[in-house]
Amino acid sequence: MEQKNVFSEPVKYDLTFAREIFRLENGSYIKQCMNCGMCAISCATRDVMDYSPRQLFNLIKLGKKEEVLTSNTFWSCTSCCTCKARCPRGIPIIDVMHDLKKYAIDHGYTNYPQAAFYKAFWNEMSVRGRMFEGGMTARYFLIRGLDEILKAMDMKDVGIDMLKHGRMPLLPPKKIRGLGGLKKIISKAQELDRKEAR
Amino acid sequence: MEKKIAVYICTGCGIGDALDIDALSKVAKSEFKVPICKTDGQLCGPEGVALIKQDIESEGVNTVVIAGCSARVNFDVFKFGPDNIVERINLREQVIWCHTADDEDTQMLAEDYMRMGLVKQKNMYVPEPYQVESFSRNILVVGGGLTGLTAAVESAKAGYSTILVEKDAELGGYVGKMYKQVPMKPPYTDLEENCIPNLVKAAEDAGVKIYKSATVENTAGAPGMFDVTIKQGDSTVQERVGAIVLATGAKPYEADKLGHLGFGKFPNVITQSMFEEMATAGKLEASKVAFIQCAGSRDQEHLPYCSAACCIESIKQALYVKEKNAEANVYVYYKDIRSNGQYEHFYMKAQQEGVVFVKGDVTEITEEDGKLTIEADDKTMGTTSLADEFDYVVLANGMVPTAALGDLVEEEPAADEAAAASDEPKASTPPVIKANLLNLAYRQGPELPALKYGFPDSHYICFPYETRRTGIYAAGVVRAPMDMLSAVEDGAGAAMKAVQCVEATEMGQAVHPRSGDMSFPEFNMNRCTQCKRCTEECPFGAINEDEKGNPLPNPSRCRRCGTCMGACPERIISFKNYSVPMVGNMVKTIEMPEEDEEKPRILIFACENDAIPALDMAGINRLQYNAWVRIIPLRCLGSLNLVWINDAMGGGFDGVLLMGCKHGDDYQCHFMKGSELAEIRLSKISETLDRLGLESERVRATTVNIMDYDKIPAMLDEFAADLEELGPNPMKDFA
Repeated sequence: MEQKNVFSEPVKYDLTFAREIFRLENGSYIKQCMNCGMCAISCATRDVMDYSPRQLFNLIKLGKKEEVLTSNTFWSCTSCCTCKARCPRGIPIIDVMHDLKKYAIDHGYTNYPQAAFYKAFWNEMSVRGRMFEGGMTARYFLIRGLDEILKAMDMKDVGIDMLKHGRMPLLPPKKIRGLGGLKKIISKAQELDRKEAR
Repeated sequence: MEKKIAVYICTGCGIGDALDIDALSKVAKSEFKVPICKTDGQLCGPEGVALIKQDIESEGVNTVVIAGCSARVNFDVFKFGPDNIVERINLREQVIWCHTADDEDTQMLAEDYMRMGLVKQKNMYVPEPYQVESFSRNILVVGGGLTGLTAAVESAKAGYSTILVEKDAELGGYVGKMYKQVPMKPPYTDLEENCIPNLVKAAEDAGVKIYKSATVENTAGAPGMFDVTIKQGDSTVQERVGAIVLATGAKPYEADKLGHLGFGKFPNVITQSMFEEMATAGKLEASKVAFIQCAGSRDQEHLPYCSAACCIESIKQALYVKEKNAEANVYVYYKDIRSNGQYEHFYMKAQQEGVVFVKGDVTEITEEDGKLTIEADDKTMGTTSLADEFDYVVLANGMVPTAALGDLVEEEPAADEAAAASDEPKASTPPVIKANLLNLAYRQGPELPALKYGFPDSHYICFPYETRRTGIYAAGVVRAPMDMLSAVEDGAGAAMKAVQCVEATEMGQAVHPRSGDMSFPEFNMNRCTQCKRCTEECPFGAINEDEKGNPLPNPSRCRRCGTCMGACPERIISFKNYSVPMVGNMVKTIEMPEEDEEKPRILIFACENDAIPALDMAGINRLQYNAWVRIIPLRCLGSLNLVWINDAMGGGFDGVLLMGCKHGDDYQCHFMKGSELAEIRLSKISETLDRLGLESERVRATTVNIMDYDKIPAMLDEFAADLEELGPNPMKDFA
């Protein structure tokens, strides 16, 4: 496969950034990578990725913070689980990708539409405890800016089909029972996460 | 001893249904006048065996001919003591299982095998085991490193008095100087304390006789009677031993040749052993260290092979740095990390400790203010990578076996007549390197033959410790590059082989692969022409020679392959139960149909080690093949004497096929070069055949692997078709 984003300048090894990533929930698994390339050949979206998972891991070890966080690799991950199932070193690659997504959002690297999507999805879910497609779409465009709506008109056929089949109700669904309990669980989990990350 | 022969035909396993047993018994009774010929429905059952035993006891039978299954099965059932000859005729695997039942050709085949078996036993005698004079059961271990100490402890524990010779003042070798060692037990993740002090103590406790600062000056003799001169300081000691374990280890590759990696140019570019010294001395102060793998190894200009141990040694040393300073940055530049087997866990442990592994080739190392910078082609990123501020760069400089250090033994300048014969094709003989390890008093050179890259290895698949000198077993890194875990296993394995050798030699038996064989070559010296073929061709250096060129056999060095017997142009070498006339008579006894009967005959000489099992496998799988073939098993194709081909072609055989093992670098021959020698001998005969008006294509050699059994029918059919095209052997009518 053709290699993308090859550096013209020599790269220099620096472990400061890597140590920060290794502290993420699944970050320390990255150390275990032995560069076999199984993830790269297994990945369904490798073609659109800037770097294959193993290259991304290597970039982390190289200390290339900007390249890592502005790359589309982890945003293109569809969590299909093939790489995780095949990794001979047992690295839970999709979980590492989730950690990286969160890390990128927390550090303001949100240029990719996927970042907006994740945010919109999360916010929508935390209001009702279940999904309302209309609400999520609205939130997404609010984050991405209204210019995006024009682009979204290209997808109106999909939207109409979804409406017809009842996959996109016009009215929001009811909140789940015990929403307060769910919120407590979530905030407890977030608190734990912060503690572990120190 | 007069022979009293009895023939037993087994009718079980379908033999009775497929063949005319009465006609078969008639061959034995009428043609060969065998006094006792019996049939039984299941000869290998208790009644069948009792029948034979009873005849041995009451009738005085001492030669038992059993026609039934292959000699490769039921050999323990048909065992009637050392005084009785047992000959097996294979009617099952090689007749009824691979040929049509109730068929004229199949019946002819079975009858011919009966004739061959009966003729064969006529030329067989009970071997008298060779007894070594003033036999020694002691075992000598040369080299007191990890492997040598392990071998010494193991053989001493097994109850054999063991002598250990170490050239240095202290035992331990390379491993002995290590700060810590790689893990040797589960979970294979933690550094371990050096095991050498415990091993040395174990060796002392087990009563191993240790010579330090000593070398082996001379080794003469043969298994069971090696006379070893050990030089210690100015004095020499004589020891008689039964078997020898060579565990002299390896030396690190000369780092001076690694100038391209900055060695010798920058003081902080060091080797693994220098780093080890630093760690042992407690002088390890570093916050950034790089390890460069394959410094010399896997490099055509230096060591073309993988040294096998350096990856895990570097991982270990990387962990030294981390142990001292957890915040230290450690980089390992590698081609491939080869942490075999359980050491994968150790590799992972180093990764978890934060050692960074960079897949790439180092292109340049530079220095500024005592700090080193490494530039490399980063294979994962497809770019050049740079890392700087290294305190040390450690080169994993690989290993060279001690057997490869020394000058080549020069071949003697060819004498006139030899020079004239030098155009003749000759079997390749591996060089001998004067490495000053054993200093053998052998005609074939002072050390073990150096095979690929100078390692004195032997058959790598079937018997790894056996060298080409019987009774001498190489173990550890002198045999092949390996890690510590394998070296320990090797030491123990070689010690057990040495024990086997001592035991077998005491009983006058051969060692592997013909273990248990008590026959050995006997020379009729009256007719010897001092041609030296036997001394030169013996793959194990078993035959020395005197100044006149007379062969001086050493029966306990012999592996009984018969290569000397095949080589001898005067045919004066024979075994009690295997000889040139024996096979020759077998060839001659085969009935040759007249030309107009249109029943061609193909003679197959098949190697007992691979080709015969393959032929048996073809039978077991009920693969049908040509019924014109007559198969004669040979101990090794190396024992093929050309007179047999003359006999066969003169006797009217339409073709002769040799089935042997693969030769060349990845040879499969159990006796090193038997099949190669057979082919070379064959090339010499083709001219003669052509002169006689016989097409040389009638005699062919082929290689058969034990797993090639499925290809055998096609192989034989193709040969038969070619012979049909050539027409019948013109000598047929003269036969």
